[in-house]
Amino acid sequence: MNASKTLEKTLVASPERKLEADSDLAVVRQVQAGDVAAFDRLILKYRERVLGIVYNMTSNREDAADLAQDAFIKAFQSIHRFQGQASFFTWLYRIAVNSTLSHLRKNRLRSFFSLESIREDDPVSKELIDALTDKTGAGRDTFVRELQEKLNDAMQKLSINHRTVVTLFEIDGLSHQEIAEVMECSVGTVRSRLHYAKQLLQSELQPYLLK
Amino acid sequence: MKRDTEQKITVEDLIRLKRAERPPAEFWATFESEIRAKQLSAIVSKRPWWDGFSRVFGVVNRHQLSFGSAAAVAMAIVGLRYMEAHRAGARAPQAAEARPVTVSPIAPLPAHELPQIVRTAAPRAQVEVASDETVSAQRPVVTAAASHITQAPVAAAPDGAARAPFADGIAITLADFREPVSDYSRPAVFGSDRDFETSIASARQQVSEPLATMDPAAERRARLLAPALPGYGSASARALASDWMRRRASSDERMYESMDRGSNDDRMLVGFRF
Repeated sequence: MNASKTLEKTLVASPERKLEADSDLAVVRQVQAGDVAAFDRLILKYRERVLGIVYNMTSNREDAADLAQDAFIKAFQSIHRFQGQASFFTWLYRIAVNSTLSHLRKNRLRSFFSLESIREDDPVSKELIDALTDKTGAGRDTFVRELQEKLNDAMQKLSINHRTVVTLFEIDGLSHQEIAEVMECSVGTVRSRLHYAKQLLQSELQPYLLK
Repeated sequence: MKRDTEQKITVEDLIRLKRAERPPAEFWATFESEIRAKQLSAIVSKRPWWDGFSRVFGVVNRHQLSFGSAAAVAMAIVGLRYMEAHRAGARAPQAAEARPVTVSPIAPLPAHELPQIVRTAAPRAQVEVASDETVSAQRPVVTAAASHITQAPVAAAPDGAARAPFADGIAITLADFREPVSDYSRPAVFGSDRDFETSIASARQQVSEPLATMDPAAERRARLLAPALPGYGSASARALASDWMRRRASSDERMYESMDRGSNDDRMLVGFRF
């Protein structure tokens, strides 16, 4: 499953999300019954999304890998407590987000970037980069690298909660309701944080916005 | 940068560019091997001793609000009951001793004149409500219980027009206010609640022996209520009240407490005189 398909799946409407939740619940019941290998299917299904969330919150790929693994291990260790009241992916996201928030608060003063490269095989990103630059070769690569750093820099200027909301909504495609469930806050709070975060990002990324 | 293009790029578009920041394919092989190692160590490793506690606290935490609110309500009820019982024991210590039941004859009131409030007597002790001449002019609503003597004078004016319009209501309210605690609702939380009350009451009985013979509750309540409610009692009751007021002014016969400060400010003398 490649990332674009994953994102498409993340952005689908609720009925499909419901079906997905039901299939997840069946796998979770297997794991709870003692089929440890069944958990691998859940890892394979959600590893890219979980890693994406953690990476976009930390802007550090090494930390992101560790935190994503820890999130899966925590979920595995506490899967017997999963009652099925929320969907498994919401529950897993909550574990990942809480672990990341805890890590970020612990290392508030020690943060540095370790960025993945932007893959231009994705048509959406390629189209966007084409619109932003007419350069080719090394010049284009330099511009993309500069834009990426500026983008991550702007994200890191947001507070942890605002960054989390932007990541979950704009990058991972969760709805306001789902973000509220993951972050354990109200939908109004989610909307407010999203609005404020976008205002700040807009002022930071003004040179890249084309009218 | 293509500034001349007509295409509008928003901040959302730029943020979504981060979706394309993905690790290479070989990263997942490392990721999988590491997570498998961690998973195995999680299976093999012994759970810490506090893990059981965390599970218990997790369950408690899930019901935190209900436990807390139930505890608060229980504490409030227990506290109120205990305070009420303690106050009642302090008011009428002589009632704690189990005397033979003697019910004074109480003339029934006509139904249209006053709603009667009759409290069931507590089985452990019952009190005789004395009907002396002080209260004979007033018909009582009787509430007799273990540690309470509630005898609120009821408007029994010879002429119905002289009665204050809300006198009945006040009398009923007073009777309700002194409502005794029924036995079935008395909490057993503190175990031998009754023994405690009885022992306290008997101890106080010895100290305040003269008071026990006075039957102060009915007499004083009648005196207090008669002047407080104009036109409430009969002429004899009003005369009695004015006489009581004079006696009160002279501070001769009534029990009162006087506080007298000594020459030093750091001590205070409290004296009881009868």
